[in-house]
This record gives sequence, C-alpha cells and structure tokens, in this order.
Amino acid sequence: MRPRVNPALFFLLPALTLIAVFYVVPLALSIYIGFTPLRNWNIAGGYLSQVTLENYERLFHMVMYDPDIGKVVATTVVFTVVTLAVNVLGGLALALTMYLMDLSGRELSLGFRTLWMLPRMTPIAVYSLMWYYFFLPGEEGILNSIAMRLGLIDEPVNWGNDPDLLPYGAWAILVVVNGLVGVSFGMVVFYAALRSIPREQIVAARVDGASTLHLVLYILIPQLRWHITYVTVWQLLSLLTTYAHIFLLVEWGAVDEFWGSNWALYVFNKAFALGESDQGLAAAAATILVLIGAGLGVLALRLMGFGRMMAEPRGEV
Amino acid sequence: MVEVSLERVTKRFGRVVALDQVSLVFEDGKFTALLGPSGSGKTTLLYIIAGIYKPTSGRIYFGGEDVTDLPPNKRNVGLVFQNYALYPHMTVYDNIAFPLRLRKLPESKIDRKVREVAKMLRIEELLDRYPSQLSGGQQQRVALARALVKEPTVLLLDEPLSNLDALLRVSIRAELKRLQKDLGITTIYVTHDQAEALSMADTVVVIDRGRVQQVDTPQNIYNRPRNLFVATFIGSPPANVLYARLTEKNPSLACVEVNKARFCFEGERAARLSRLGGEEVVLAFRPERARLGTEPRSDMLSIPAEVYVVETLGRENVVTLVVGASMVKVVTPPSQVPRLGESYYVLVDPRDVMLFDPVTELNIDYIEA
Repeated sequence: MRPRVNPALFFLLPALTLIAVFYVVPLALSIYIGFTPLRNWNIAGGYLSQVTLENYERLFHMVMYDPDIGKVVATTVVFTVVTLAVNVLGGLALALTMYLMDLSGRELSLGFRTLWMLPRMTPIAVYSLMWYYFFLPGEEGILNSIAMRLGLIDEPVNWGNDPDLLPYGAWAILVVVNGLVGVSFGMVVFYAALRSIPREQIVAARVDGASTLHLVLYILIPQLRWHITYVTVWQLLSLLTTYAHIFLLVEWGAVDEFWGSNWALYVFNKAFALGESDQGLAAAAATILVLIGAGLGVLALRLMGFGRMMAEPRGEV
Repeated sequence: MVEVSLERVTKRFGRVVALDQVSLVFEDGKFTALLGPSGSGKTTLLYIIAGIYKPTSGRIYFGGEDVTDLPPNKRNVGLVFQNYALYPHMTVYDNIAFPLRLRKLPESKIDRKVREVAKMLRIEELLDRYPSQLSGGQQQRVALARALVKEPTVLLLDEPLSNLDALLRVSIRAELKRLQKDLGITTIYVTHDQAEALSMADTVVVIDRGRVQQVDTPQNIYNRPRNLFVATFIGSPPANVLYARLTEKNPSLACVEVNKARFCFEGERAARLSRLGGEEVVLAFRPERARLGTEPRSDMLSIPAEVYVVETLGRENVVTLVVGASMVKVVTPPSQVPRLGESYYVLVDPRDVMLFDPVTELNIDYIEA
C-alpha cells in the first residue's frame, strides 16, 4: 500500500522550513506592510491593522512630480543597464582572453583570474573605501593627483558631486565600482564553460581554416549561449537589488545623494534610516522592485530562448 | 595528393621528449598506419603534420614544399578525431560546410560539395540534424565528411574508430579502406589497435617512446619484427620471449640452450649468432607458430614446460606454460585441451624462431655485418 503522504516530503521538510521562514514569510509580510501606513517601526501603534493603497498613490506622485525621485529612477535604469553590459560583455571578453592565453600552451591565466577575483574577495567596506579615496574631491584624491600631475586638470575635481559633471560623474563612479565586482562572476562562469569545450573542436576549427576571430565568433561564443543567458539574468536581478557599495559611497559623500542612489538604496533608506522612517512606503517600493525584477527576468529568459534550452532533445542521443 | 615526409623531427614539451629525431616518408596515395601504445608520440606526430604543433627541430615536406612553418589552414589537411569533435551548435550540414564557408566559396558551390560528400558517405538524410541527435557511427561519418569536403591533399585520422562498438568498428574499417583506395588520398591513420593497423594499412609505422621502431608492410611487421618491442607489441597474444644461453658460437654452427633444451642453428643464422658479443641471446616465437608435443623433436626447438593455465576460446585454446622462471603462451587447436600441471614440450620450427641481441634488442636478421 502506498503511504498517503509522499515520503519525499519528510526529507524536504528541513529545507522547506528554512525557505518558508526566511523567504516566504518575509515576502508576504513585506507585501502586506506595503498596504499599511507603518512608520518609525511603531508596530504597537495600530498601523498594521489599517489596510490602504496610500503608499502606492504616494509613490506614484513622487515618481511623477518629485525631481529627486526622478533622479533615483533615472540612476536605477542607467546604472542597471550599463553595469549589466559591463558585467556580461566584460566577463565574456576576460574569459575569452584568459582562454586564448591558455590555448597557447601553458596555463598563464591563473594569476590574471585571481587578480580579477580580488574585488569580490575584498570586504565591501574596504573595497568601497579604496574607491572613496580614489575619487576623493581634494588634491589628495588619487584620481585628482594623477590627473593633475599629468597636467590634464588644473584644479581638483569633485567627481561625484560637481553639478557640471552630474549626473554622469556619479553614474560613472557607480558603474566602475560595481562593474569591477560583477565582472568576475561572468568571467568565472564563461571561463569554466570554455574549458569544458573539447580541445579537439578547437584543433578541428584551426585545421578547417579558422582564424582566432573565426574561432571566437563561430565556435566559442555560440556554445556559451546558455551561459550568457544565465549570467545576464542573474546579474540583472542582483544589480536591481544591490545597494551595499552604493550606500557607502552616498553615505561618505563620494557621490550625489540622488544622482548616486538607486531604487534599492532608496528603499533601504526609507525603511532603516535613522530618524524619520516610513516602512509602509519602503515596503511598497520594494514590492514594485520585485515585480519589475521578476518581469524583466522572465522577459530576458523569453528573449534568449530559455524554453528551448529546457526542451527535451529530439531524436536519439 | 602528395607525399609527406619528415626530416629528423623532434618535439619537446618542457623536459619531455615526445618525438626524437623522427624521419619518415608517407608515400603518395598510400594508407599508412601509425601504431604505438598510448604515450608513444603518435598523436603528437599527427598534430605536427597537421600544423597544430610546431616541431622543436626538423622539417616537414608536403611533396617538395617545406610546410614546417605553415599554419594548419595553409596545409589543406583533413583531420578526424576519436571523439569526432563536431561543432555541437551546428547542424550536420553546417558542420560539413564550415571549412568551405571559411574559404568564402559561393553558397551554391558549397551546397553542391556538401551534398556530394554527404551522398558518398551516405548521410544525406541526416543533414538537418544536430550532432547530439546522431549515433556514434553517424557522427564519425559526418566528421569524415567534414574532413573530405575540403578535398585535402592529406587525410589524417586520429583513432577514428576507438569510440565505436566492436561490430561497427569492423564494418567501418572495411569501408574506410575502400574509400581511401577509391579516392587515392594520402592517408595517415593513428591507432593503438594493431588489428586496425595491420588490416587496413599499406605500410605500418610502429612507434614507441617518440622513436620509430619499424616501418614496413603489415606482413613484415608481423613476421619479421625489427626489434623486441615490435615483436612483443604486435600479436594477440604477443610473441613469447625467452632468454637463452649461447653455448656454441661458430659461424657454421651456433647452439642455444634454454631451460635445458638445446638447439643448434646452421648457415646464415649461425653466422649471425656467432657475431653477437655476449653469451646470451633472446629467443622469441609467436604463440600460434608453436605446438605442444609429448616428445622432443630433433628438427625443432623443443622446450620442456608445464601447463599453468588453459583458456578455451572456442576457435582455439590459449595455453600458458611455465618454462623455468618465464611463462610462454601456445595456441592449440580446440581438440587439444591440456590439463593443469601436465608436462609438454613446446615445439617451434627453427624458421619461426626469432632471435634478438639482448643488448640492442635488435632482430639479428636486421643487424648489418
């Protein structure tokens, strides 16, 4: 007789419990709080029992009419798109370079790959602090002192805050700082994928008359298709929600408060900033971000043909 | 179609010498097998001919042309691999068309050539499939088509049948040999399988540890191995080897003694044996050229031995016997099934006894006077 309850459930229970406690419950709570006027963590104040659409109305008005929120939205879009391109294309370029270096015979790329992993291995605060000093507005800032010695500028520049350079100065800083962290992810995935292509295919292509450019365009990149899809979607979602480095750069004044903030950081500040905080509004903003992320993720998978990757192979294998 | 020749080709990888002063000529239009155990340097040699590796020293010629410094795409060779190395993201058609597209031929000409070669290899109905949708044998035909569509001057095959199952291997073996004869293309075939090498090739090159051991017809490789390595590498089971003492060293009569059995050679063999430096000689004979007898025979080498193992294979039996401290194998007809521990004489016709210098391991028949 078959047991009434699937025994697999027993083994899944510990993992399911963790997922429920740390993902499902907070998600549900967040969405719910988005419909309440909870402020200043005043949980006992009765706010939680008032269900309202007010937060969404306020957000709509802010996006439409508040110029500061407009800056945050623009920054989020530009930062996400440009950093995503840097991460995926940069990771691809790095992986191909490392791979072609190794093809020449000796394994030369190990040192370079380690170098590119450093930003990921460095603690966020230390890494951000290094960039803080790099872009420091005064003469003692590294970029300023280099540029001045080279005679490119006469006076130190406030890269992230100078109104003449905004918004591009602040955006460039965000892209550089986050792009250098993210690029190693694509590099590692693509490099591993390239290494799993049988060497004989490369030899065959060479004998068939392929130059290095042919090899890259016709043999290597087409076989990375699914890896590119994966890295793109993964990085897109992580860039939409990242705020740790940006938080520090804004906090230390390295970039403009609004031209240097993305939506995720705005949510964080609304919910957890000292003084006045507005958890209801933050939760509503976070819910919108999740919806946008999910929508973009599905769209990206659709565009890149994820369905075909998961389809059963035709014919005998 | 060209003749491929190598002149004192050496290849080192760091401190490892993969090929050591290899000089070879692969005749125009002939099928040559490069036979050797794994790690012998045969694939390295093939890659050097293809232009994938550059030799550390030495020259390579296609016909009269020195191609040593030419990259692979300038050599017009076709290469087929053990694992087929088809491009998994391209259809069979695109795989075959790939080398032609790189040559920027017009699409109509490409189409004609692809269909032509597909017809020749009977894979026309597979053209729109992907490699993952093909069986191993089909994939190997596609790989062959991709190599042949360029009309290469030299066809290089790197263990092309090793990934196929035994039955398919035998049928493709025959087909490949026929194809090569029809096309008359200079073909170099790397294999560790002696049955493939001996059955298909016009010439067999036996290679070991980066050195050429023997270049000869399959018959001579089998019957007249140049050295001990070739004798013990070829044959299934390979040749038996026994160390014997030279008791008599006259140019007209030379006698050997092995496990208390004494046998004397006369004429040419005696003369050659008498020129050996030491007091020892290595005897070798093929298991299928020996017989088991109950009595010694004066006209044959008759070595007393004791049965150790009997393997019954249906068509024949392989009997392993102890001779002193060594083992020998003898193939007996199915009717003769010795029992364990029985004593016999291993009888070998002197014409089937191969003699080797224990120091140089050379067959004495090949030693110049």
